[in-house]
Amino acid sequence: MQNLSAKMLKKLEKTVFFANFTHNIFMLTIVVRAIIIYLVVLFLYRLMGKRQLGEMQPFELVLTLIIADLATIPMAEVSMPVLHGIIPLLTLVVLHYILTMLSKLSSNFSCFLSGKPVIVINPDGIDYKALKNLDITVDDVFEALRGCGYFKVEQVQYAVMETNGKMSVLSKSEYAPLTTGDMNIKTEKSVIPISIITEGKVNKENLKVAHMDEEKLANLLKKSGIQKVKDVLVMTIDKNGSVFFQKFGQKYQTLQVEPLGQVTE
Amino acid sequence: MTKWSWFKLVSVFVLFGVLVAVCIIEDRLVVSSLDEVNRYCYQIESAVEKNGGIVNGEVASLVDNLEYSWRENESKLCFLVNHKSVEELGVEIVRLKTYIDEEEPIEFYVSLDIIKHYVETYQHFMSANFHNIL
Repeated sequence: MQNLSAKMLKKLEKTVFFANFTHNIFMLTIVVRAIIIYLVVLFLYRLMGKRQLGEMQPFELVLTLIIADLATIPMAEVSMPVLHGIIPLLTLVVLHYILTMLSKLSSNFSCFLSGKPVIVINPDGIDYKALKNLDITVDDVFEALRGCGYFKVEQVQYAVMETNGKMSVLSKSEYAPLTTGDMNIKTEKSVIPISIITEGKVNKENLKVAHMDEEKLANLLKKSGIQKVKDVLVMTIDKNGSVFFQKFGQKYQTLQVEPLGQVTE
Repeated sequence: MTKWSWFKLVSVFVLFGVLVAVCIIEDRLVVSSLDEVNRYCYQIESAVEKNGGIVNGEVASLVDNLEYSWRENESKLCFLVNHKSVEELGVEIVRLKTYIDEEEPIEFYVSLDIIKHYVETYQHFMSANFHNIL
């Protein structure tokens, strides 16, 4: 009986110590809040899509800026409930979804929300009226053209300012890069190499995509002079049977094997 | 529609549901908590009038009950409301107890009035009305 009460007392002491300990760690609250908000923002961004900063439409950029600001407030402000940060974020994401849906349904609404592409250079030259409407200068157009690889305006047939602020350029045919199609040269279709081993690990999903099994992989490794999978930094194979592989700390090698079956792409 | 599109659609509906639920829960919780405080305030007032002073068992017990009930509600409110917005109420309740101990009826009435005023005005400065939105 005495033992039991001593045990209970010890347990109680531990509980009290832990309770006091956690009460005093103010930083722990901030750490936990930061984790919660990070996970929420991560989930919300995944829900919104994968656009890069430069490819955003105006309303998406606004959303990103607001979210970044909103997320930081409740992280450090402990008197504020985390919900005060999360609720506006959820509201914005729901609103974003609704706006995206509406812009998909109505081209007029999409135009209102994101604007529409504007031709700034046509066969007659620079359209100054269009530049004025877009509030950009001729220097901005030159800069954007240089970014697209064109240093002379006379090389350009059309230049279009896209809704995300990027410029798309169609060059005059005499300045367009020569392609194999122009030369009537027949080439093999481009194929995507499938990575079957990365950093010493077999990617079983890609193995299936390449219509290979363990036995075929073992043969391939034998042909490549590889003894263990864990020695391989990377190994890829394409539909035409071109194998690329590199062992850890060694130079890469290529190998030609029999073409694969129908590769699922 | 792809699986991902369905997932997005369902997630957005769930998020919308969460928003609505949070708003309703906050409203219910705030209203019930403040109503309880208000009720205690009027009970305290009538107890003071009935007993002719603040130093008596009934008033002390009512203030204790008010403090206990506010502590309970405050911990729930902290999930939804900024601590700083509601801490004033807790401070005034503690003052009530001090004024009973020190037999200071004027300060006691002032604190009681502050609590009542706070409860009445809280709905105005925290609720979704035209003034607050703008």
